[in-house]
Amino acid sequence: MATQTISPKRTLDERFLARQRWARAGWVYGTMLALAVLFIGPFYVAFLGSLKDNPLEYPFRYTFPQIMPHNWAEAWRLGELGAGNPWLGGFKPGAQVPFEVSYFVPEGTEPVSPSVTVPTRRAGAGIGAVLEEVQASQYAKVSPVAEAGRSPAVLDGQQGQIVRYRFTITYPGTGPTAPRLPLDVEAPLSQRFYSATLDPNRLERRGRVASWDSATPGFFGYTFRNYVRVFNEARNPNTGQSLFLRWIFNSFVVSLSAVLINLVFASLAGYALARMYLPGKNLIFGAIILLLAVPAQVTFISNYLVLRDLNLLGMIWGLVIWIGIDMARVFLMKQFFENIPREIEEAALIDGANPLVTFFRVILPMATPALGALTILTFQGVWNEFFKAQVVLAAQQDSYTLPLGLSFFRNAYGQVGDWGLMLASAFLSMIPVVILFVVFQRYFVEGVSTSALKG
Amino acid sequence: MRRAQRTELLYALMFIAPFLLYLLIFHGFAFARAVYFSLTDKGLFNTPHFVGLRNYAYLIQDDRFLLALQHSIAYTLVVTVIQTFLALALAAVLNQRLKGITFFRTVYYVPSILSSAAVTVIAIWFFQKTGFLNNLLAWVSAYAPILLTLGGLFILAQGVQVGWERSRGLPVAPTDPALATVSLLVALVLTWVLSATGLVTARPMTEPTLAWLSETNSFLGIPIPLWAIMMLNIFTTIPTLMLIFLAGLQDVPKSIYEAAAIDGANPIQQFFRITVPMLRPVTFLVVTLSLIGTLQMYDQVALMGNAASLDSIIVLAYFVYNNVFNSNVPGNVGIASAAALVLALLTFAIVGLQRLLGISEKSY
Repeated sequence: MATQTISPKRTLDERFLARQRWARAGWVYGTMLALAVLFIGPFYVAFLGSLKDNPLEYPFRYTFPQIMPHNWAEAWRLGELGAGNPWLGGFKPGAQVPFEVSYFVPEGTEPVSPSVTVPTRRAGAGIGAVLEEVQASQYAKVSPVAEAGRSPAVLDGQQGQIVRYRFTITYPGTGPTAPRLPLDVEAPLSQRFYSATLDPNRLERRGRVASWDSATPGFFGYTFRNYVRVFNEARNPNTGQSLFLRWIFNSFVVSLSAVLINLVFASLAGYALARMYLPGKNLIFGAIILLLAVPAQVTFISNYLVLRDLNLLGMIWGLVIWIGIDMARVFLMKQFFENIPREIEEAALIDGANPLVTFFRVILPMATPALGALTILTFQGVWNEFFKAQVVLAAQQDSYTLPLGLSFFRNAYGQVGDWGLMLASAFLSMIPVVILFVVFQRYFVEGVSTSALKG
Repeated sequence: MRRAQRTELLYALMFIAPFLLYLLIFHGFAFARAVYFSLTDKGLFNTPHFVGLRNYAYLIQDDRFLLALQHSIAYTLVVTVIQTFLALALAAVLNQRLKGITFFRTVYYVPSILSSAAVTVIAIWFFQKTGFLNNLLAWVSAYAPILLTLGGLFILAQGVQVGWERSRGLPVAPTDPALATVSLLVALVLTWVLSATGLVTARPMTEPTLAWLSETNSFLGIPIPLWAIMMLNIFTTIPTLMLIFLAGLQDVPKSIYEAAAIDGANPIQQFFRITVPMLRPVTFLVVTLSLIGTLQMYDQVALMGNAASLDSIIVLAYFVYNNVFNSNVPGNVGIASAAALVLALLTFAIVGLQRLLGISEKSY
């Protein structure tokens, strides 16, 4: 009915519809963009938080010293000056580090030079607190603070001047290299901190005291300080080995072993179920269907006891054995093998090759796409596995995998609220899976939609 | 039996032996042993004695178990309903043949590939008292006057335009995208003018009051920390479910929508009259997956640790673990097994229901 009334205005109608199509596409793209912000946004803000000195600051700032390019350049330069290491910084014998700070002095007050100290700071909160590290305060000499210039200024509507001060921190003589050079600059009551060579990590007592975790941080040491701390501060108290490095190593060993086991045994089992003479196949299928529905919370008790009897508790091999051969992967391979032509293997068998040779020489090379999917899905699944790891490994800190390590950090640093370190460790633990996803996204997305529909 | 067949059987057994061995020990035997343990007084170190159904009787009277059961069921229902609906709505919006849509689908999938541990750690930060969520809420409430003005002006402009076009005899829908674009621009300009002239201003940001995870209050009978975990779960699961829906939507013929559009059905009518019924089998699958997944939720609760009080977030899966490893009476394997079997029973019921209703891949 409605179409009849406007059908005479044919051209107008066409233009109207075209305009509508364009507008609809615009709204759809807008919606998609908004959704992308919704799904990625939380990770973006958490990443910003992981760079901050205080991720729980309120209100939340989107720009802060660690992401300012001028600080990157200065941190690089200072790291070079302090220890010849522009990435991680430090403080080694012979270093000469010139530093400049400026204070706002309101009108009517005479500027007074701030006092500069290199304080003794503990390595960190949580478990890092017990670590002994070389303290720069024992070796650093601070030159007298000299005034370097004044300029009139208005700050927050207040008349006054900005006074710049210069000093040099040196490491005379010989001694060990300190990992960092903490710095406190304190001015008298009336003066307010204005700027410095490098933006300070903290301002205390209403801007009178500026405090740096390291005045010679290097680029990573300043911008990714929390990330460096993840590796440095959590150490095995007996061996001094970095726990996080150890967990990364464990995670790789467990994930790659599980991939290897599934590549070989899941494809062997899948092939036997798909193609070989085997009475009782249906029984096996029935068992798999039933057991797939049994929650891990039911089976873990017995598995824990089995691994205990085998003396495998607290060992990553115990976890590898329990993860074992995934039923879903066997299904995946079975489905794949059912779809390859029979003639090929028959030809090989007639040639007199035994099934084992046929499988490894003829069948498996054809299965590369399925094996690719299996590799990626298994790696991702095992890398992220938490429950089984917790049951098997909980007692042995050195054997943790990354998810378990994150849980440990959460308990160790959650009390003191060291969120910078916790967020940084979470992001570090994601890197391998994210890389895998970016490179092989096809497998992930298709894997979900097809396997779920077939299941 | 022929010799060749016997050889093949031998090889087949060899091929499948490692898998069968694993299946028997770590799944079959483990399941059977859990059933047995649930009928005994097994601890972590003693030899079990048969106690009949005493563990189950204990569970029915245990406040914490009942709490966990109640939380699990509430969690499962709420999360499944919300995430199924949202995933379906998103899939319907994204079911377009547009350039770059694969890129967006890939991006949406990111939250679901990451480890629950990493995501939960980030979520706990997110839900802190001065964490990002409260920042965002405070910002929205501070800018509410401006946002409401913008929304109101948009609806007003759209209403005026639609009325105008209709008075000219054009059958435009209230959601007409071209007019909405104009309305949005008009609303943006007017709002900017109003806020620049100071007629509408933002309020100052307030200090946060709600500490999500340490809250002891309930909302609709569910503790607030559990709501936080629900939000987290919905956030990470929606993308997966959305992709399943999208795969299902590919099979709905475009011609049905075109026919409906010619008959004058608007997008919302099309969604409820075409999309929803055509997707019934896929929806059923999604609901089943979702029910099973949420019922067995463990990682998030375990990682919360002491960030939230245990009684406010405990669910069945965690109750089981807690009874074996964390309890005051260490290693209560018998009771844990009984609780785990309750969990398994609920899972079986869901799977059984799916099979009973006969929804399988053949349906579509």
